[in-house]
Amino acid sequence: MEVYAYKCRKCCHVHYPYKMICHGCGENKHDAFDLVPMTKDGKLLTFTIVHNLPPDFEVPTLAIGIVELDDGMRIMGQLKVQEPELGMKLKGKVEVVRHGDYTDYHGMVFYAA
Amino acid sequence: MSVDLEKLLRPVERPMAPFPPKYMVLASGENMVVRQVGRKDIPSILPYIRPLIHVERDYYDLVAARIYAELLAYYRYRVQDEYVLVVQVEGELVAVVNGRMVNADVGMSYHTIALRRGLRVGAHAFAAKMEYHFDILNQKEVLIVAESPIGFRRWMIEYELEKRPGIQHELGGVPSYALTKELFDRARGTLIVGRRPVPEDVLAKAEEAILPPSDPPRPPAYLMAAARSEYDPTGTALMLQQWKQEGKV
Amino acid sequence: MRNVYAIGIGITSFTRLEFQLVEIASYPVMFALRDCGLKQVDQLYVANMGGARLNHQTALGSAVVDSCNLLPAGAATIENGPASGAAAIKEGFMAVASGMHDVVVVTGAERMREVNGLEATDFVASLTHPLAEYIYGVTLPSLAAMFTRLYMEKYGVTERHLAMVGVKNQNNALKNEFAHLQQAITLEGILDSEEAFTNNPYVAEPLRFFDCCPVSDGGACVILASEEVAKKTGRPMIRLAGVGQSTDTHAVLARKDPTDLLAVRRAAAQSMEMAGVKPKDVDVAELHDAFTILEIAESEEVGFFKKGEGHLALERGETELGGKIPINVSGGLKGRGHPVGATGVAQAYEMVYQLRGEAGERQVKDAKVGFTCNFGGFGNNVICLTFIRED
Repeated sequence: MEVYAYKCRKCCHVHYPYKMICHGCGENKHDAFDLVPMTKDGKLLTFTIVHNLPPDFEVPTLAIGIVELDDGMRIMGQLKVQEPELGMKLKGKVEVVRHGDYTDYHGMVFYAA
Repeated sequence: MSVDLEKLLRPVERPMAPFPPKYMVLASGENMVVRQVGRKDIPSILPYIRPLIHVERDYYDLVAARIYAELLAYYRYRVQDEYVLVVQVEGELVAVVNGRMVNADVGMSYHTIALRRGLRVGAHAFAAKMEYHFDILNQKEVLIVAESPIGFRRWMIEYELEKRPGIQHELGGVPSYALTKELFDRARGTLIVGRRPVPEDVLAKAEEAILPPSDPPRPPAYLMAAARSEYDPTGTALMLQQWKQEGKV
Repeated sequence: MRNVYAIGIGITSFTRLEFQLVEIASYPVMFALRDCGLKQVDQLYVANMGGARLNHQTALGSAVVDSCNLLPAGAATIENGPASGAAAIKEGFMAVASGMHDVVVVTGAERMREVNGLEATDFVASLTHPLAEYIYGVTLPSLAAMFTRLYMEKYGVTERHLAMVGVKNQNNALKNEFAHLQQAITLEGILDSEEAFTNNPYVAEPLRFFDCCPVSDGGACVILASEEVAKKTGRPMIRLAGVGQSTDTHAVLARKDPTDLLAVRRAAAQSMEMAGVKPKDVDVAELHDAFTILEIAESEEVGFFKKGEGHLALERGETELGGKIPINVSGGLKGRGHPVGATGVAQAYEMVYQLRGEAGERQVKDAKVGFTCNFGGFGNNVICLTFIRED
């Protein structure tokens, strides 16, 4: 499983999350992007531990952070780290992050590297 | 018939260690006292619970009706091993909690009702009740259910209570949740707080009289709106409106 | 462009209201119509974010225009997340300024307490990016918390500063009979006492309960009109002099500097430039303090203080009532409450109220220029308004 970024075929600008029109060169074509898997490793930019979660989560708290990946892209992910610290090295894995009514949603989960 | 029926009806009560009063500071900076009351104090609490029987919001009606009955049952000796704690700020009644001892090891939490909102008064009151079961009565677990979504969030989620699907709770016969000694100890210092002893003047003020709540939850002020069925599933508001017209309230 | 004036205002209590959403949107219209003495208008805008999802009510515009006897005026509902209110005011402004309409009613309403708090939180979280943010369980408090952590790290803002904003605004709300929170709080109670962190638990670390606005029901209305109509009402002439709007990336993580509220800066500059005022000319401001950190950050971005010095100004008491630039004297979102669709309009209500000099206990002395910032999404859609009293 991968989380994908969107790379413009014309100017190679990489987008995450997806965009319809390229932010690099303005390319406006329905097949303007190639899917490229996101890098998995990075460092923690900022995080929070959420105590009031939406009702479909069955855990009392959840750590969520924004991670700066090694290639400079940023991604949000759940943190499975004992004591998160700003700037710490993390390793990502794609796992189920939320259970919908009929679908499971996959996303990035980070562990201490 | 010379048999004293009252003797048969009245449960034999086991001795229970008294709850030592404690106090804490609220977000408003006021001192709040939690203390146990005996039978003689019940008549001065009942009048403040009664109006809440007509407040549908957040299940105040249900909780107030049940707690009213439980306090009355305690007062008139129709429930075994019950205790009642009151919570006061400057003498004013801000919350009432009660429960009972099932046996030496297991406690049964009854109700928590907060008469002042927005200051976590109810949460503190519930925590004091749990403290009574575990620290004072030395019990092993307390059976708990929630009747309102607020209660569910406060107890089941914040304390991460365990499910006890096989055990019916005395309130409504639904499957119980349980707070174990282990879960309780984990919550100590975060959810369960308070200081002892209570400064003498603060305790004296609380014991002097149970004063009426200054801003208790009330039924919707706009009675025409309340009279519509959507807002009034039990007909209470409609009745209130009628009483208002007749000058009864 | 024609000049546009705010001629009538109305508001409901911000609290839990057990009325239909349509009524919550209509009451302030009734008050505002009485306020300016008009019976007929050209156009009505209703700002609302969650009617369809929370209250099973769509097409509020048509419902309100009928319930307020304003037929056959045009009517529409404006949804723009938490900035719906100011977005509707912008529409109203454009309608009058362009000369298309003479009188436009803008009302905002929300009924969020119909569902429980967790569901309301989830509903507001639906404005986040569906795949890059929402699925991870992100809520608005958590976005604000991640922002706060960086802000603390970078500028030395502490939990005490956040608590100070909360105490200031919640205590300001005591002077506002329409405010949701009517309960004084103290720094001792929420920060210093032994029990403080139980009273004031984390919502999303490092943000605590008293750093977040309450979930409220409520409605507010402002009537905008051309100069000709405004003069006839005989009320003080409050001109909506500047409207600025700016947007930023949908997902917060895609911003170059996550502590930079670019959209606030741009919208504020645009609004003040249009009005021909500088930040130092502003006498009273309503900033979108859904979370206490936002008041500090916005006060810097709109230009009242240098970047990174908002919390120092707060320490000096410059943002209190009676200070150099009083912010959120109505209680702000923190104290007055935050019914998402109504907030932007309620901020405009407060400005008109202040500039008219009718605000009683919370009146800012000789207020001539008022400024509001309505912050949508997490800073991805911001609208700033500037009001000027013309004597």
